[in-house]
Amino acid sequence: MTYRISVDTGGTFTDVVVADERGALTIGKALTTPRRAFEGIGVALDQVAATLGVSARDLLLASESFTYGTTRATNAIVEGKTARTAFFTTRGFPDILLLREGGKRDPFRQIPYPPPYVPRYLTFEITERIDSEGDVFLPLDEWSVRDALERCRDLGVEAIGVSLLWSIVNPAHELRVGELIAEILPGIPYTLSHQLNPVVREYRRTSSCVIDASLKPLMQEHLSALDHDLREAGFAGHLFIATSFGGSWRPEEVIERPIYSVGSGPSLAPVAAVTYAKAEANATELREDLLVCDTGGTTFDVGLVSQGEISYTAETWLGGRWIGHITGIRAVDVKSIGAGGGSIAWLDPGGLLRVGPQSAGADPGPACYGRGGTLPTVTDSAVVLGYIDPEYFLGGRLTLDVAAARRALDEHIAVPLGWSIEAAAAAVLVIATENIVGAIREITIAQGIDPREVTIVAGGGASGLNIVPIARELGCGRVLLPSTAGALSACGAMYADIISEFSVSRYAETRALDFTAVNDALRTVGARAEAFLANLADIDPVATRVEYLVAARYRQQVWELDIPVGGARLEHDADVRALEQTFHETHRRVFAVDEPGQYLECLVWKARAIAVIAKPAVAGRTGRADGSDQVRQAPAFFPETGWVDTPMFSGEALAPGTRLEGPAIVREPTTTVVVYPGSTATVTGLGNYLLEIGAVSTAGDKGSVPLRVGAS
Amino acid sequence: MSLDPVLLAVIANRLDTIVREMENTLLRTGRSAVLNMARDFSCALITGDNRLLASAEGLPVHVIGMEFLSEAVTQLHDDIREGDAFLHNDPYLGNTHPADHVILVPVFVDGEHIFTAAAKAHQADCGNANPTTYMPFARDIYEEGGLIFPAVRVQQDFADIPDVIRMCRRRIRVPDQWYGDYLAMVGAARIGESRLKDLVAKYGLETMKAFVEEWFDYSERRIAHVISEMPKGTITGSGQHDPFGPLPDGIPINVQVTIDPDAGMIDIDLTNNIDCVPAGVNESRTCAMNNVMTGVFNSIDPDIPHNAGTFRRINVRLRENCVVGIPRFPHSCSVATTNVGERLVVTTQKAFADAWDGYGLAEGACGIGPGFAVVSGVDWRRENDPYVNQKFLGSQGGPAGPEIDGWVTYGNSVTNGLMFRDSVEIDEQKYPIRVSEIRVRADSEGAGRRRGAPGFRVAYGPKHDEMRAFYVTDGCHFPPRGVRGGGDGAPSLPFKLDASGEQAPLPPIASTDLQPGEQLLHLLSGGGGYGDPVERETERVRDDVLSGFITFERARDVYGVLFTSTELHDGLAVDIDATERQRQHLHTARRRDD
Repeated sequence: MTYRISVDTGGTFTDVVVADERGALTIGKALTTPRRAFEGIGVALDQVAATLGVSARDLLLASESFTYGTTRATNAIVEGKTARTAFFTTRGFPDILLLREGGKRDPFRQIPYPPPYVPRYLTFEITERIDSEGDVFLPLDEWSVRDALERCRDLGVEAIGVSLLWSIVNPAHELRVGELIAEILPGIPYTLSHQLNPVVREYRRTSSCVIDASLKPLMQEHLSALDHDLREAGFAGHLFIATSFGGSWRPEEVIERPIYSVGSGPSLAPVAAVTYAKAEANATELREDLLVCDTGGTTFDVGLVSQGEISYTAETWLGGRWIGHITGIRAVDVKSIGAGGGSIAWLDPGGLLRVGPQSAGADPGPACYGRGGTLPTVTDSAVVLGYIDPEYFLGGRLTLDVAAARRALDEHIAVPLGWSIEAAAAAVLVIATENIVGAIREITIAQGIDPREVTIVAGGGASGLNIVPIARELGCGRVLLPSTAGALSACGAMYADIISEFSVSRYAETRALDFTAVNDALRTVGARAEAFLANLADIDPVATRVEYLVAARYRQQVWELDIPVGGARLEHDADVRALEQTFHETHRRVFAVDEPGQYLECLVWKARAIAVIAKPAVAGRTGRADGSDQVRQAPAFFPETGWVDTPMFSGEALAPGTRLEGPAIVREPTTTVVVYPGSTATVTGLGNYLLEIGAVSTAGDKGSVPLRVGAS
Repeated sequence: MSLDPVLLAVIANRLDTIVREMENTLLRTGRSAVLNMARDFSCALITGDNRLLASAEGLPVHVIGMEFLSEAVTQLHDDIREGDAFLHNDPYLGNTHPADHVILVPVFVDGEHIFTAAAKAHQADCGNANPTTYMPFARDIYEEGGLIFPAVRVQQDFADIPDVIRMCRRRIRVPDQWYGDYLAMVGAARIGESRLKDLVAKYGLETMKAFVEEWFDYSERRIAHVISEMPKGTITGSGQHDPFGPLPDGIPINVQVTIDPDAGMIDIDLTNNIDCVPAGVNESRTCAMNNVMTGVFNSIDPDIPHNAGTFRRINVRLRENCVVGIPRFPHSCSVATTNVGERLVVTTQKAFADAWDGYGLAEGACGIGPGFAVVSGVDWRRENDPYVNQKFLGSQGGPAGPEIDGWVTYGNSVTNGLMFRDSVEIDEQKYPIRVSEIRVRADSEGAGRRRGAPGFRVAYGPKHDEMRAFYVTDGCHFPPRGVRGGGDGAPSLPFKLDASGEQAPLPPIASTDLQPGEQLLHLLSGGGGYGDPVERETERVRDDVLSGFITFERARDVYGVLFTSTELHDGLAVDIDATERQRQHLHTARRRDD
């Protein structure tokens, strides 16, 4: 027997998924050990090995690959525990990281201005200037570099980000600064902005560059330690590290460009979603659009898959849009909504019920955790409504205090409003649902996707609690909830390919395209992509390919769209017209308008290298668990019905093809599925759940007064 | 009909989502930099009977008073039909200033005009006599010279009325850019229309009508509650716009605010001000109102909704033919959104702070000096295509509040930090200019227990051909004032740099032509401080030194903080004993001065 292993280490839990030759998955879960990742992984591996009836060492010995996704980089940034990093900038522009791009969400709210990613005293102005056309306006003064480097040595700088204006059209100065760093401070890792992320807009490129540099020492150490620990423990296969592209790289490539490991865990959920959706449809092409939802304790993550293509973005912010730090790199577009199981419900002075943005987090957590929390949360509401089995939370590891949840809701919501406790709890879920629905609408519509036409793929421990009303409010009819929902990202790592992108900035207008310049750019990125693929020969990919893209916009616009370039070269006018046509169609899809006849401004030419690697098949569950499928019958409260006796099933014991009519609840070791009245759940051949929403009205619909039913 | 309170929250959220969707459309499809880079636009939903319903994150100066625009539509036209769209920029009929074009789309359900969807955006050019959207010297609307559209029908049956489009294309510089922005605005308003119809279809017309009334009532309850917890009394604030050309003594501004917690009302009186002036700086009625209200909203709980329900509790008294009131035709309101308008905001919030500790804000930086100039010329890289657009390269400091330091990328008081900044690289790619410097101007902050944000030092100029720049600086003579012992921000100073780097002062409000090699240099104001700087926590003063906001000298002389070394690194330590002595000394000296 041979195995494949994938791991997602989150801030709290480490998920380990092991696939056998048949593709059957076994999941282990342990607490994350930030100091040494392998300690937590080892605990979860032991659980899996025990289930499979082998030793962890034998399991590792027999494993062909180990794919590792981690929040290590993200957490280091959020906690400010990255390397002491210097920023080298063009003279005159020391405050790029302070100013960012401006903008703020709420005009009348005073909030403290966030500090820059690199403090000003570690920012050094280099005397030089290149113009937008690539001419050297002011030659590089090497003494300004040498002085800065001496000062860096005195200050104990551990990494350097170099981001000079217009290095994307003429990199000579950045390259020379790189040589001087290697000469004067050998061994100090550095990042050159034009090599990492050659995009126009100095703030984005600079932010990418300094974040990347600041992660280099840390990720080198972290990944080397993991590699060492794995080899010690018997692993002899290929180690892959998940990236924010929704793919994976080998460790040396991540150490070279560690910013791509930021957000790598969440970026894999859409990969799992695509894989499952294809497997369930028994198809290689995916025709429908997917909305991928992954719920945690404090956030609800949303990703999109459009016509089989995972959506990407270049606008990932850490610490808040506009006011945090942008990663600036292209990454799987996963937006976090501040609405999780821990979100707190409260009444504002006008008597309106609100949920969040405050969260009880993991400590003290919801009132029902019994750890001192007294404020009502979304999880407390689900407990009060009978959706969660208090004896089987987290597979029985935490017994929930139902009385505490009721008390919290009663005191803070029900009594002041003169409602019953269950009416209050149901209202909290309605508002929590609405917060998510509003955010999803903004996200989907900004991509030109109509949420009524998607299939939702739901993951995360808490998503099954209200995914049915979320879908209903979005007007979306189908939800796929994998039985492995509790470890969706780790499963995604199991199905990830090796993907990397290479790009070059070369401004060109399609009204009179400079074919030589453009084809030169395409050749450059193509050659880099091919070299990347050639370097993977030893892992024996199943297939490789290179796709070409360009970031383009209409004349005078400033925000670009990424569109595919037909081939590796543009040869004729017809090719250019085809490119324009693709742009018109994309623009119309995203913005509902286009401007036929208008020419394009092309900015960045890209090649995406994809190496498809051997992956396990998507298989059903290993076997039917012993025991009855129905574990209990208990009252649950639904707005449409009031209290109603509701069967609760053990998911592991449900046979494929089983169809459950709501109301019903399915308990899985890592998640809970609430089948609301009017909806149905069908166990698929692969053991997943297909929820069909039905058209029963809820709080949203015309004329209904949903809360009155149980409130009397 | 009484609405389920949960449904109330749900529908309110949906309306904000619709507005954000409209805004996203405008941002991403707009052509001019003022729109797609600086985000100088706003969207709103208004009821059929002309009450402001939802505005999400619109600019304060744009959205408050948006209902006057739809009012003009319904008053001037008795044949409004589905498929219509109206173009409106008339400052005498409810608009802010003529450079803000607005598209208004009536939303019909079952033949009834239920809502109006509105998109407002500052234009790159509006056909003024000069290539700028701000004409401070215009003695009247004729000298101003821009095209005025008093709620003119521009679409019928969802199609453009070509006559109007042709007028605009003939009289607006960069007509393609204008038309691109026009399409973006129409697109945004039409998206609002279609989403509103979906919403009514989902919940039913009766429910939506009930929602509107209940939402206004809820909003009114919220602000009434806030006012009921405020101190009682009448306060007056006085401010002053800098002198210029026809107004050698500047423009005095008086604001009187009466808070009545028992009645839950705020009354604002702007009638005690001078008459309209023969210059382009008069406030439009909408700007007079929304700017003084912004000053109030800056001073109270930010969590309240801002709509017609809220406005029931704020009474603004304006006078006909007043510089901050109702402009008498044909006085020019070309610069109504900034300058005097900004002074209205900061004077109001300062009045709150002066009267009651813990309330209000200091004054923030004002004016659209060279850092925000409208520049024009031709671009040799694009076959000498002409260009004209406002730059947002400058950065001036936000005011301190009782608890929080000023916001760095504040922009100005009428946009409160919401607008974006230009990217240097995008500006240089789109326009034939070179930027040579954007850096924090040290010691420009208004000192205080909470300090204003610093201003910046900005320089840029043309690369290849002559460039013309128009700008309207304020705060050179009357810089932003601190409150309750807080210091003033540094004055805003415009200069011209010649090719050798020699700097010469420029008049604060003017236009200037620059040759290649010459540059505009703008030293921008910081925001005013709140409270005595000697009370500022030493750790915060240390952070300010390390971030380059203040020098060691200023830390010592103004904040009374000394350090054990003069080297900037993370080991920098406060000299506790010396600081204690210095602060004692400053305290005594200040008492002597008082």
